[in-house]
Amino acid sequence: MGNGATSVKIDATAGGAVRVDDPERALAAINGLNEPETLRQARRLALERFRKLPMPSRKSEEWRYTDIANLRLEDFEPAIPGLDGDRPKGSEPGGLDELESVPEPVREVLARSRERSGVWVQVDGVTVYHRLDDDLAERGVVFASISTVARERPDLLEKYLFTSPIPEMEEKLWAAHVALLSEGFVLHVPRGVRLPTPIHTFRCITKPGTLVSTHSLVAVEEGGEATCIDEFMSPDLPETSINLAGAELFGGPEATLHYIALQRFGTGVKHFGLQHVTSQRDSRLAGVNISLGGDLSRADVTSHLEGSGSESEMLALWFGDRTQHFDHHTLQHHAAPSAHSDLLYKGALTDSAHSVFRGLIRVEPEGQLTDAYQTNRNLILSEKASARALPNLEIKADDVRCSHGATVGQVDSNQLFYLMSRGLSRRQAERLLVFGFFDEVLGRIPLEGVRDRIREAIETKIGISTSSLTSA
Amino acid sequence: MPDHLLEISDLHVTLEGEGAEILRGVDLTVGSSEIHALMGPNGSGKSTLAKVIAGHPAYQVTRGEILLNGESVLELEPNERSRAGIFMAFQYPAEIPGVTIANFLRASLNARREDDDEIDVFAFHQLLQEKMALLEVDPDFSARYVNDGFSGGEKKRNEILQMAVLEPQLAVLDETDSGLDIDALRIVSNGVNTLAEADEKLGVLLITHYKRILQYIKPDHVHVLIRGRVAESGGADLADHLEEHGYDWLKEETEAVPAGGA
Repeated sequence: MGNGATSVKIDATAGGAVRVDDPERALAAINGLNEPETLRQARRLALERFRKLPMPSRKSEEWRYTDIANLRLEDFEPAIPGLDGDRPKGSEPGGLDELESVPEPVREVLARSRERSGVWVQVDGVTVYHRLDDDLAERGVVFASISTVARERPDLLEKYLFTSPIPEMEEKLWAAHVALLSEGFVLHVPRGVRLPTPIHTFRCITKPGTLVSTHSLVAVEEGGEATCIDEFMSPDLPETSINLAGAELFGGPEATLHYIALQRFGTGVKHFGLQHVTSQRDSRLAGVNISLGGDLSRADVTSHLEGSGSESEMLALWFGDRTQHFDHHTLQHHAAPSAHSDLLYKGALTDSAHSVFRGLIRVEPEGQLTDAYQTNRNLILSEKASARALPNLEIKADDVRCSHGATVGQVDSNQLFYLMSRGLSRRQAERLLVFGFFDEVLGRIPLEGVRDRIREAIETKIGISTSSLTSA
Repeated sequence: MPDHLLEISDLHVTLEGEGAEILRGVDLTVGSSEIHALMGPNGSGKSTLAKVIAGHPAYQVTRGEILLNGESVLELEPNERSRAGIFMAFQYPAEIPGVTIANFLRASLNARREDDDEIDVFAFHQLLQEKMALLEVDPDFSARYVNDGFSGGEKKRNEILQMAVLEPQLAVLDETDSGLDIDALRIVSNGVNTLAEADEKLGVLLITHYKRILQYIKPDHVHVLIRGRVAESGGADLADHLEEHGYDWLKEETEAVPAGGA
């Protein structure tokens, strides 16, 4: 891996790699990792939980349509380099091109736009590059690998890392995520600081048969503002690899945070996104999931509205082809009065792809004057593709406004004929209609640069080019 | 260049899966540089003919032929007909929210080019601006979503703009005048005339219920479709005759003809 500077070889006598199939050796391996004791302790506890818990089965509602009971995480080689902190910072632009450890596809994306406050790149679980604008660092913004933060700002990890409430359906995967954590990043935005441009991170998997566990911890303090894009990618892999991607997002009072997970893995990857959002008073958080790649892509997105007047916008797009399987699972948890959540998830499927959406709005007795909306729309392009939508409400307060709705539909034949009559093939016409279908979500993504990046990724996936063109 | 741009002969059409014929043996020929008006009462099959020429999948041709430049188009998909040079301006254009006119048109142009020869973004932009200027369309128009929330007049102008960009050999205008007020009618008609002047080879089949649009677009030939057949053909003065006498005299004539075939 790169020049391997961050990779710690675990002494064979200390137990070898951290393999969860052999608890004692795994424990020994954890103890042998060159990393702060707080992290080792978290791993040990998680390992214990992992061993006690069964894999989720289709008997539970939450996993009824996504069968991973036979997925043995134990069989994958965990990518645990040992978290010994960030390498010396490179300088970008300029230095980035010389960084051979940054994969070409990442450089391509970075070359298209310079609008960002920081970059963090992880390859097969190893941090290979990171940078934060100097002036932001001077203003107290922390943006670094978890292991670095563990040494330099342990208080931040103490306060935020692995503190989100984990729902039962997710416990097993979360335990694996923590026990086998490869590395992650922390973005901490102090009170009143606003990041002018996005933070862009990349997670690349290049090896078949591995399990990578990565974490995004983003905390924006009172009145602060940040946008963060997590981009996941890999080439097509000949054998399965697993990606466990945890995200904990915290918005302090009146904070603004936009978080985008752009998943565009190649074939062979099974991706599990475990996202937890916690919103305090009058904060404004938006979480966007763009799911394009992998064989199996599951996103569990939980939004806890814990402060009055908080707002949570939840957006997602997915496009499935071949035999891809997407499962989006959401919770809008209203535990405070006068909070607002608005979910819009849209998916399009072709070939023999399948998708599941299961969403719950839960309003606690404290959640008076809640405004909560949940919409899932699915567009089916082929006979063998199918989408399942399971919206739900659970309301324990009496003065609320909630609505939910879901549709599964096909391409409109009049639209199709209209487009074809202008020369587009059926496939081109369908793809253009998918693009139009997605626009409603794209239009709600605030930053133009971010929107363009997502549009590009979608265009690449669905194979049409519309590259933004304005008339002026 | 063959004389006959469009040659329709003995065309019989049913709705897919239904027995009743909507077109019962249409014969019609449109040459390059000619403007033909096809008139007729409601339900005579005018719009069906337009859709069948464009390749609408809801209709089935049970007999007869449609040739474009001497080649049959019956086995061609709608997109292949478009690329062969046929353009239909829809009576009721579909609304495509989320897709801008610019993106739609660029995709349409690219669809008629090789995969590795996509039109340059800036070249396209320039082409689009030229065409919009030619038709006196507001430059912001192309950034709007295709027909989404458009007025009747805007929808028809959008059709004419598409025609201008795609530069067909044959334009079939299906009731382009319906639902337009007099100003919109004038604008759209001017657009068609402008394009006909710009491309003198353009053949036009103008389908209309009313004579009104023929004050703006002067036809070389006028045909009347009654109950799925061309009952009468003539020069521009035929339209005047219809204006005065209506269609009833033709209906009576066709009643006398025994129902053929099927």
